Amino acid sequence: MSGETVTAPTRPGTGNVRELLAARDTAFWPALREATRNAQDFSEALSLATMRKKAVRAGIPVMIDKTIRLAVVGGSSLYPLNELLEQTIGAASATGWWQVELWKGDYDNYIAETLDPESELYAFKPEVIFLIPSSQRCVYQGALTDSREQQQTAALAAAEDVLALCRTAHERSGAEIVVANFMPAVDFDPGPYRVRTLGSDWNFRRAVNLELGLNAPSYVHICDAEFLATRRGAVNCYDARAWFETKQLYASDFAVDIAREVAAIVRSLHKPSKKVLALDLDNTLWGGVIGDDGMAGIEIGGTHARGEAFKQFQLAIASLAKRGVVLAVCSKNDYKNAAEPFEKHPEMVLRLSDIACFKANWEPKSENLRRIADELNLGLDSIVFVDDNPAEIEIVNQFVPEIETIHLGPDPAEYASQLLNSRFFEPRSITADDLKRGEQYQQQAARAQAMSSSGTDMESYLGSLDMHSTISEFTAVDVPRISQLINKSNQFNVTTRRRTEAEVEALLTDKSHYAFSVRLADKFGDNGLISVVIVAVEAETATVDTWLMSCRVLKRQMEDEVVNEMVRLAKLRGCSSIVGHYLPTEKNGMVRDLFPRMGFTLVEETPERTTWRLDVNAFTPHPTHIRIDRRAYPTNSPESL
Amino acid sequence: MTQTEILAKMQPVFDDVFLDDVKVTPELSANDVEEWDSLLQISLVLGIEKAFGVRFRVGEVEATKNLGEFANLIQRRMAEGAKA
Repeated sequence: MSGETVTAPTRPGTGNVRELLAARDTAFWPALREATRNAQDFSEALSLATMRKKAVRAGIPVMIDKTIRLAVVGGSSLYPLNELLEQTIGAASATGWWQVELWKGDYDNYIAETLDPESELYAFKPEVIFLIPSSQRCVYQGALTDSREQQQTAALAAAEDVLALCRTAHERSGAEIVVANFMPAVDFDPGPYRVRTLGSDWNFRRAVNLELGLNAPSYVHICDAEFLATRRGAVNCYDARAWFETKQLYASDFAVDIAREVAAIVRSLHKPSKKVLALDLDNTLWGGVIGDDGMAGIEIGGTHARGEAFKQFQLAIASLAKRGVVLAVCSKNDYKNAAEPFEKHPEMVLRLSDIACFKANWEPKSENLRRIADELNLGLDSIVFVDDNPAEIEIVNQFVPEIETIHLGPDPAEYASQLLNSRFFEPRSITADDLKRGEQYQQQAARAQAMSSSGTDMESYLGSLDMHSTISEFTAVDVPRISQLINKSNQFNVTTRRRTEAEVEALLTDKSHYAFSVRLADKFGDNGLISVVIVAVEAETATVDTWLMSCRVLKRQMEDEVVNEMVRLAKLRGCSSIVGHYLPTEKNGMVRDLFPRMGFTLVEETPERTTWRLDVNAFTPHPTHIRIDRRAYPTNSPESL
Repeated sequence: MTQTEILAKMQPVFDDVFLDDVKVTPELSANDVEEWDSLLQISLVLGIEKAFGVRFRVGEVEATKNLGEFANLIQRRMAEGAKA
């Protein structure tokens, strides 16, 4: 990186957005997205919302890539919060704009709106309901001196009240529920005694919030107003005048934090979080330039402040890796120089074994990032690239816009918090498989190497992998991972049918379906749960509702074993044929020929779908190199299905 | 600051909020401008408070009938701030 001229890209601020609006430039929309994500206060966010409306009226073309039906109900005025929500959720789109169809409840009418099955709330058919319960209902009614048990019971009951509303709303509408928890109390009263009783506003709200979070089912997403207010400084989050004048619960600038959080949650419902962190090296992981300064000259750890800051950044990266984020290196360096600190520097936190894919060469970083995606068998849009050099960031933004970037600021002291506040790697729920993901991708790289050393003889390669698999009916423990796959698999997915955790859970007891998940391990390690199948049974026909697989295990004959199992279970259920539909999407072209490859014959072909059929009695199980350690519904009786 | 000076200083705040030509005059009120809804009202009050370094008390902005009265209110709050 040394010796390159660095030109700072201009950050699209509100002023720039305004100019693009005036010029009717289509670059208006990306600039609006960026500015909205960065908007610091209410006035700026509102001003951007006004510009958006003007742009729509002026007919500046925009790609609406999603429409979100959002209902907002609560114990305070929902205006102008609704405007902020439309703006921040709109900007959650990666490449266009998300249209928000918003229905807003009446002031403090949320309980009636939720309880009345005939209410407009349900007639609106929301996909997401944002519920802002009234803080007046989160007050301990007894005395400060009541027993702790009594106060604890009241806190649990207050949380249960809110969760009961969420449950009702979810059951009636099927919507995901975003619920704001309670803001921290900020008045000094009753003084230091507040910490000695759960009855003080301060402790009571904290207790209720804790119960809310710890007891929330998977369809409830907490918009953590307590955390957000603490982060901003809670006294700045209240505005008494605005409450009395227009029943605003949140001070105007804080309302932007809330709206942005709701947008982040809505986004996470539709988009998986990022999987790969691709890192620059010089002046990113250490201070200085390894090629110029050498091992002894770079700043990392040790006894000086800058070195400590870089080490802290590496620790932050390691914490993400531990949670399942895959690390890659993308650096302009000679490989030998670049790898040396990872191998030999005593103060480095990250080691070569932590890096799933290491690209240090003089090719453009955009090219190297494409290679990283290829080798890890992941989409470009699962990568986040980090660099201190604005010119490199700009090149990546321009040539691989699918990749999100983090441009590190001028002070390494801030690197760790910049990464941890980027919000790219927030899991909706953390599954045990996530924790092993880093390892799995390293194994993937090892397999790729084994493949190249064994040449092109696929059969002997597969044989050498020593693969073994367990197939299981759906179990409660697996529900989070199964739902995760159902909601994020795009490529190897014949119907791309999404289901909420609650819907997956319902399949556990649903007799009209059989469903199984598949795990695959080999001599390099455990791939975890990698395939999900749901089959609907009606009379003698079994219809494949869902069949998806992680692309990590492509070309491993896993799909053959899945068909073997599908047929075995169909026979047990007394079915004579299996029907499969392929519903084409932009991303699932790789399974267009899956059914014919597996021996199905074509029944019907329309632009929307192809339909295939397999005669189970004429089926011979496909031979594979996978040993099946366990099969689904192990009692093997039809009743057990 | 005179009322005229205050109105002149309000103009850029209006420009920022409306993103359109809305000429600040003592007689102007929300009824005269189609876009001037309660949303823009909130933005305007926030912008004015920032620009003049004042803080209005509960209920007093909605009690003003037009920008002339609003400017007088700003003047009173500024005078108070200067005394303090």
